[in-house]
Amino acid sequence: MNNDTKKLVWEPPFIQPHRMGEINKFGRARLHDNSKSSVYGVSVVELLRRFGSPLFVTSEKQIRTNLRNTKKAFERRYGSVVHGWSYKTNYISAVCNIMHQEGSWAEVVSAFEYEKARALGVPASKIIFNGPNKPKFILERAIAEGAQIHVDHLDELQLIESIAKDQDKVVAVVLRLNFDTGYTEPWSRFGFNIESGQAHQATKMIALSSHLNLTGLHSHIGTFILEPRAYAEQVRIMCKFMRELESNEDFCIDTIDIGGGFASQNALQSVYLPPEQVVPPINEYADAICTALLEGTQYRRQIGRELPRLIFESGRAIIDDAQSLICTVVGTKRLLDGRRAAILDAGTNLLFTAYWYNHQVHTTKASEGTVADTVLYGPLCMNIDVMRHSVQLPPLSQGDNLVFSPVGAYNNTQWMQFIEYRPNVVLVHENGECSVIRMCEDLSVMMQQDRLPEHLSMPFPDTSAMARMINSGTIARRS
Amino acid sequence: MEELLSRTGGKVPSRERLSQLAVSETGFIFDPQTGQSFSVNPTGLVVLDLLKRGSTLDVASSSLADRCGTPAEIASSSVEAFILQLGRYL
Amino acid sequence: MKATRHKGKSWQNYKVAVTGINARAENPGPGCAVARCIQEHPQFKGSIIGLGYDALDAGLYARHLCNNSYLIPYPSEGEEALLYRLSQIHRAEGLDAIIPCLDSELQNFARLKSELQLMGISMLIPTRDQFNLRAKNHLSTFCESIDVHAPESKALSNPSFFESCEKEGWKYPLIVKGLFYDAYVVHSAFEAKTVFAKLVSTWGYPVLVQKLVIGDELNLAAVGDGKGNMLGAVTMRKKALTEKGKAWAGVSIVDEGLTKVAERIVAGLNWRGPLEVEVIKGYDGKIYLIEINPRFPSWIYLSHAVGRNLPVAVLKLLSGVAELELSEPTSGTFFIRHAQELIVTLPEFETVLTEGRLAPQMVQDQIIRSA
Ligand SMILES: Cc1ncc(COP(=O)(O)O)c(C=O)c1O
Repeated sequence: MNNDTKKLVWEPPFIQPHRMGEINKFGRARLHDNSKSSVYGVSVVELLRRFGSPLFVTSEKQIRTNLRNTKKAFERRYGSVVHGWSYKTNYISAVCNIMHQEGSWAEVVSAFEYEKARALGVPASKIIFNGPNKPKFILERAIAEGAQIHVDHLDELQLIESIAKDQDKVVAVVLRLNFDTGYTEPWSRFGFNIESGQAHQATKMIALSSHLNLTGLHSHIGTFILEPRAYAEQVRIMCKFMRELESNEDFCIDTIDIGGGFASQNALQSVYLPPEQVVPPINEYADAICTALLEGTQYRRQIGRELPRLIFESGRAIIDDAQSLICTVVGTKRLLDGRRAAILDAGTNLLFTAYWYNHQVHTTKASEGTVADTVLYGPLCMNIDVMRHSVQLPPLSQGDNLVFSPVGAYNNTQWMQFIEYRPNVVLVHENGECSVIRMCEDLSVMMQQDRLPEHLSMPFPDTSAMARMINSGTIARRS
Repeated sequence: MEELLSRTGGKVPSRERLSQLAVSETGFIFDPQTGQSFSVNPTGLVVLDLLKRGSTLDVASSSLADRCGTPAEIASSSVEAFILQLGRYL
Repeated sequence: MKATRHKGKSWQNYKVAVTGINARAENPGPGCAVARCIQEHPQFKGSIIGLGYDALDAGLYARHLCNNSYLIPYPSEGEEALLYRLSQIHRAEGLDAIIPCLDSELQNFARLKSELQLMGISMLIPTRDQFNLRAKNHLSTFCESIDVHAPESKALSNPSFFESCEKEGWKYPLIVKGLFYDAYVVHSAFEAKTVFAKLVSTWGYPVLVQKLVIGDELNLAAVGDGKGNMLGAVTMRKKALTEKGKAWAGVSIVDEGLTKVAERIVAGLNWRGPLEVEVIKGYDGKIYLIEINPRFPSWIYLSHAVGRNLPVAVLKLLSGVAELELSEPTSGTFFIRHAQELIVTLPEFETVLTEGRLAPQMVQDQIIRSA
């Protein structure tokens, strides 16, 4: 046999028993080569050389394009809209300022986020202050500065009223509502419930107060909502509520805020079909929302009143595909069940969303060798640190790079500082230049917030130091 | 192979047992004794072929190392693991 | 449809690919029955290519039904993977038409329609919008719009519904369904939650819950021409069920009421392609729409038996033949489904496993002889 001498690609010899009921060579066949050597037009090799691995790469162009397209979809159908950038989705300063330059307001949900928006230079009048926990000091500031406050519960409403009294002001508030659209599980823990009458009760309180004025309605029906009709129903319910309010009380609602929740092109682990097939295009959301809103506000046009301002707080749909994570294989294994596995220098510490998404994974150079089911592990000493439970990849070896995408939503905010430094985040500018927008952590960052009491200043004090501390009573004598 | 047996305590299939296997060029293997079928990767196929024809572990490893241009130690430890794996299945 | 549009090949010489050729006894896919309808039509001289999803799909090896067969990527891999594989198969076979037979793959095929058309492969399938409007989680809205009764149903993403549903008028037993397949009757919150978890792990969210309607199960299969007309309805009443609620015996009937409902559905959606309408004729005489399946049912061989061969009608429509030659609907033809062993040789199994296709018969014979 002459092929005895033919060169073979090295891979450890391996035999795999067939399990009946799951055999299909082409079942999960990916296209022969889906490697990509660049992200957002910049070479992966070059990026890693300059900024190290792992590395988050963000595209300014993609963010701007996503935002413009989404706004256009609403403007064409309804007229003026405001996008509130949901800080929690990604609050890296450069990302926020790209949004603001496109005209987006800041949607913040905590004292930190409020302070950050102000520090970036966002005027309070362009801050939407959401969230269930708004401590008094920050409410005082937000009210004094004139931010748009969305009320979550009755205690907060009372607190706002008392601050308004102290500051001798009439504060415009927006009421956060919750209700059942019939399409999604109601997020009934946030805001005031319509069906139970809580919301009406709150509006009564506002009507009775000389320091409060109700000017808007808000609700956020959930996240990654695949059904545009859920929004149509949301808007119908909100408009009905608005109409009742306007006919019974002396309110004039000028803002309808529909929250966020449009799905991004990402693959939820719990959804069978791929995102291209289940995620509706932005126009379908806009259609459902604007049609319902134009219908629901017709009564206002008839009486010559202006249409309310539409605010949407889309997070993941704007940012998700504008960021990728590049990482490096640190080692490979064969698992006992025969599958291939690789250990990466980035795990769920950086890619928190790997817990519920099957992110796309691309190799960065074309490779020979058979594509097979592979498990991708992160670097943590936790069993649940799995980046992909099952993905079809060619054989990997140490030093290979992988690109995860889309990763822009909720990772740069929910990532956790556990045993590893967090890496650089870079931005690819519209002209193709790259710069760091968040520096990688190092030891000084990690220790900066620590404080050592004097007697703990040394890990291994010598005996005389010990004696001094015992004598002075700083530490107790051990028997 | 006896040495591998005593060193690891694992089961090492005999050459008779290996020669019962129906092995096709595509890497498809059928074990007539159990009815189980397997897929073997190209390097595994080379090793299995050599073992069936009576090669020793050393010969099989070094010829694999030659064909792949892989260091001999890596090839030989991988081949050992492969034989132990065969032992678990046969 | 203009008869001149496809000047080329006559449907009788088509090479037709058929999917859904799994044939587990308790819940077979429709593909083998579709293939059988076509193969047994006296004028059909072409051939059938089976497209399977698993090496144990019986149709892959059933040469009297599928002249050749291939494995294709799971629907969850998306259309690009499917197109890539179909192009490989097309290069080897030269396909004229595909009849997709599974719900979960239809969106992939719908999105590839124009690409496949350019390659010379035609399909009679619904558009994405038609497909979505009839989807289980949209069904009640659609029923309202065409004034057809539907049992109350709800899309769920949280199993806690089952704890409190009785208070809200959802009394057990209830039916719990996966988005694409599988339906179970449940009698308690515990049972419901177990089924919920199982359905989520296979088909994802949402899970559908439906109130149980008592009555006779009737199913109707037909083809929509895409202009609002329903062609060749065949109606069947289930006579005996498998554990999965599938018919293992049934009889052809003619039910005016159901035919009217189906006509309204086809007209309301401008349905294009095969469909199955599942209803329950309640003891109150009303017809309740349970499901609209966007494909042929697995009992479609009955259509051949009653002289209304619907799979062949699809081929005729695709090739522009105006005369479908469907006989008048008749009642009283029974079917009883039975299981049978198909013999598979080791080389056949091997090529399906290692190459994802069935080796041609001649090659097989050589392999066997030389073995
Ligand atoms: C009030 C509010 N608005 C907007 C968002 C952003 O949601 P998404 O990223 O799903 O668009 C959230 C996310 O939880 C939210 O709670």
